Amino acid sequence: MLVFANPAFLWALTAAAIPLMLHMFQRRRTVVTPFPTLRFLKAAQKRSSSRVRFENILLWLLRTLLLLMLCLAFAMPVIRTTSAGSWLSRTRRDVAIVIDASYSMNYELDRGKVWEICKDAAAAVIEGLLPGDRVCVYLAAETPIPVIEKPTTEHATVVQAIRALTCLPGTSKIDEAVATAIAALEQQEGRREREVYVMTDGQSLPWHGFRDAEKHDETVNSEGRPVITREQRDAVTFFALLAGAKAPENVWPSDVKISPLIMLSGQTARLNVRIGRSGSAKQITVGVEIGGQERGRRSVTPDADSETDVEFVVNGLEPGIHIARITTPNDALPEDDEFLCLLRVRKQLPALIVGPQNATRYLKAALAPGAADDGVRQVDTAELDSVDLRDYQAVFLCDVFPLSGQAVIRIEEYAQNGGVVIVFPGDRAEIPAYADMEILPAPPTAVESIPVELSARPLRRIANLSGQVVNFNMSLPPGTVPTVALKRVLRLGAMRENAAVLITAGDDTPMLSGRAVGRGRVFMFTVSAERDWSTFPLTAFFLPVAHQLIRQGAGASVQPPHVVLNTQPLVNEVIPEYREDEIIATPSGNQLAMRDAGNRVYVIDSLSEPGVYTRVRAGAETPEPVMAANADRTESRLIPLAPAEIEEWTSFKKLFFANDPEELTKLVDEYRNGRSLAEICLWLALLLALLEWWFANRALRKQTGASEKLVVDLAGKVVTQ
Amino acid sequence: MSEGIAAFLNPAQMAKLNRLALNSRYVVEGTLAGRHRSAQKGASTEFADHRSYMPGDDLKRIDWKVLGRTDKYFIRRYQDETNLRVYLLVDRSGSMGYSSSPDLPSKFKYACTLAAAVSYVVLKARDAVGMCIYGEKLDVSLPCKNSFNELNNTLKILQGYKPAKGTAGADVMHQIAESINRRAMIIIISDLLDDQPEIIKALAHFRKNLHDVIVLHTLDPVELNLDLKRGAEFEDMENGERLIADPRSLAKEYKDLMGEFVDKYRKACAEMKVDYRLVKTDEPIDTFVRAYLEERKRMSR
Repeated sequence: MLVFANPAFLWALTAAAIPLMLHMFQRRRTVVTPFPTLRFLKAAQKRSSSRVRFENILLWLLRTLLLLMLCLAFAMPVIRTTSAGSWLSRTRRDVAIVIDASYSMNYELDRGKVWEICKDAAAAVIEGLLPGDRVCVYLAAETPIPVIEKPTTEHATVVQAIRALTCLPGTSKIDEAVATAIAALEQQEGRREREVYVMTDGQSLPWHGFRDAEKHDETVNSEGRPVITREQRDAVTFFALLAGAKAPENVWPSDVKISPLIMLSGQTARLNVRIGRSGSAKQITVGVEIGGQERGRRSVTPDADSETDVEFVVNGLEPGIHIARITTPNDALPEDDEFLCLLRVRKQLPALIVGPQNATRYLKAALAPGAADDGVRQVDTAELDSVDLRDYQAVFLCDVFPLSGQAVIRIEEYAQNGGVVIVFPGDRAEIPAYADMEILPAPPTAVESIPVELSARPLRRIANLSGQVVNFNMSLPPGTVPTVALKRVLRLGAMRENAAVLITAGDDTPMLSGRAVGRGRVFMFTVSAERDWSTFPLTAFFLPVAHQLIRQGAGASVQPPHVVLNTQPLVNEVIPEYREDEIIATPSGNQLAMRDAGNRVYVIDSLSEPGVYTRVRAGAETPEPVMAANADRTESRLIPLAPAEIEEWTSFKKLFFANDPEELTKLVDEYRNGRSLAEICLWLALLLALLEWWFANRALRKQTGASEKLVVDLAGKVVTQ
Repeated sequence: MSEGIAAFLNPAQMAKLNRLALNSRYVVEGTLAGRHRSAQKGASTEFADHRSYMPGDDLKRIDWKVLGRTDKYFIRRYQDETNLRVYLLVDRSGSMGYSSSPDLPSKFKYACTLAAAVSYVVLKARDAVGMCIYGEKLDVSLPCKNSFNELNNTLKILQGYKPAKGTAGADVMHQIAESINRRAMIIIISDLLDDQPEIIKALAHFRKNLHDVIVLHTLDPVELNLDLKRGAEFEDMENGERLIADPRSLAKEYKDLMGEFVDKYRKACAEMKVDYRLVKTDEPIDTFVRAYLEERKRMSR
């Protein structure tokens, strides 16, 4: 449907008659010119009359069209993009604005941050709405965040709310935010034109939800997340502003691996830092600060769009928790130039030995040969209730059964939360006394005496079964064939879940078995810790095995050096030795929100703030770092999205995308009011003018004739070519 | 106002033409001894042929060596050498008055200057030059003279003429061809805008009478290319006929026709062994004459 924005200029269309009038007028006012070869002119006119007529008509047409185009351009013809275009310009709208809140939106362009550009564009869209049009606003984050949940007509309030928005540290899922926004629009009464605007930097990752989603008719998928139905894709008009850089450049530290996981004072540790790079290959400098002090700086040249590992060696760290800060040079996206992790350095691994003196004598002598070693403590069974097991990395239970029910529960809880329990049988306990300890790898069934002639047994290590006891290794010297002499041995029943025999004495007698319980480990020997049952406590490998058990178990229970934002981790998994009465502070100083998931298991509700989380222990004055949180760095890999991919992935029927706010405004204007053809008319006029000039001045004069073939030399000689 | 040859040629131009000579490609019949081959046998040193002795022949001419060998009397004959008589036919028809630009001379003015230059060259070689001026009829016919005073008088007469209204080129040429009874050189300076077959016949008439004919076809550059920008009502300079036309749209066909016209003359002249030259009025006279005569000299070797 064609309408004119400035119809007054249509009168100027009469100017199209000017070329014809000029032609006729010019004919009457010719000047008489004497000419000697009129006979040739007459003949030429006769010969070329049809061609001249055709050329004259063509020139007249070109000139007339040129004037028509100019007049039309001034009249500003507007063509509606749909047949109901005029109706569209008057109808009411429900508009949803979805702003991508992923941290890549902080990318700095020449004209400002993408985030600010998108907010301005959103405000401009709202300001372009008519009174009565309703608008709602959602932030696209890990989960959609409503800013203005229900569509409202108070545009000024919405703009104010948009201006106050800040970018979030995590990634985003645009598809879910769009689905939620469309659902919010559909809850409104009345049939209105629905438009969704997505303001984003145009990076590919947040759109992957569209790509991976199945195009079905349900409004939620099998995981309960909102999806966009086919009907919605057909009905809603979708505008996308892709305001980000077309060839973004970024460098970021994406991950840190610490080896060994448990650092002891005086040991050397290695930090393996992974550096990501978007854009062309470029040399960068990676730095490591520990406790505010620079500990290393390395130059690397990552390949284009790749990841590179850089290793730093750290030593001389004092016992305690140190904050490590890995930095890359400042770039257009400074949010991901820093990566935090915690280095937990221990003086030694504390162990608790529970049992009577005679049963623990050899163990204590092995683990704590010096009387002043406060890392190993021995208590009687009766004192077990008064000891806080969380202060120890491993608990040795030597001939302690039967235990009280309270003690059994505490030991089980200790193991579940990452502790290591090593059980040695003894003469005190009858077989039923073990029954309450359900965390043991296998239920003991009997105590068997070994004849002297069969007592000597070589120890054999059984390879770990996948998923059972992790990383257990005896680490015996090469060539050693350890042998023990057995007198008595505890016979075991069937192995429980996640349990395995780790060492056998001879071919068939289990010597050591282990089991993964919660985040902890439970190990059980079938001989006692003193020499009445076997010669094991007297052998040279008794101490290495005990140390291995403590360290391997401690390694399994150590907290990760850093956690990823927007996850819901268990508190006990990320914060060591957490007590219910402690308050964990976020990097900004607020209290970290947790909820009790039952059975003394606590879950962090929303881990949304990057940085170092701290706690103040009772009696301590300074806060202690407990957890370092970093945003998921997959968002840092900046891969611009191609418009064709949006079309393919989103499958919206009415889809418009722009690369800058001005283009978006133009698209919206064209969609609502129709598309102006004035510019096209002007371009056509220019084209016609050029064509007319070329035709009138070049084409006609470039024609070669017989005279061009005549060459006359200086002497007047005529040569025909 | 200068008269005679000074009205047409300045000293610099005359200096350039000083050492040039116009040679005939054929034998000519002059009245005086000269350096051009004559049709007659005469007293030169160049042997021509033998002829049987006839009573009355001078005994000095008997070739005694031939008599000794053959016992027959033969007379030695020698090539006669004579002067060249050049007739310049200057066209002053209506069309010769055309000049496409104030910077260019009219064709008639150019033809007069060209005639003066050629005459100067001819007289410098001690040959004789005559002139015929014609328009609608033969206006004047001046006999060949080998004197600069006569040339000055002839050019004064020429200076007094202006282009006529019409043209009768072919008839006049026939008339002149009939009037020149001895072999001579005929130089026609004209735009040849007449009945083309008749003109060609007239040229053939000259050749039939064994004259050495040179056609200097004088045209204005615009006549060749129709390089006019504006449309106009064109009026024929001879018959007054008018035509409204846009030269730009007609240029292609016009140039084709003009090309055919020139080519027809060129071919006809080539067949009749007439030396045909196209002279454009934007070309300096001395340059043309010098180039033409040097080329002619080269060809006659």
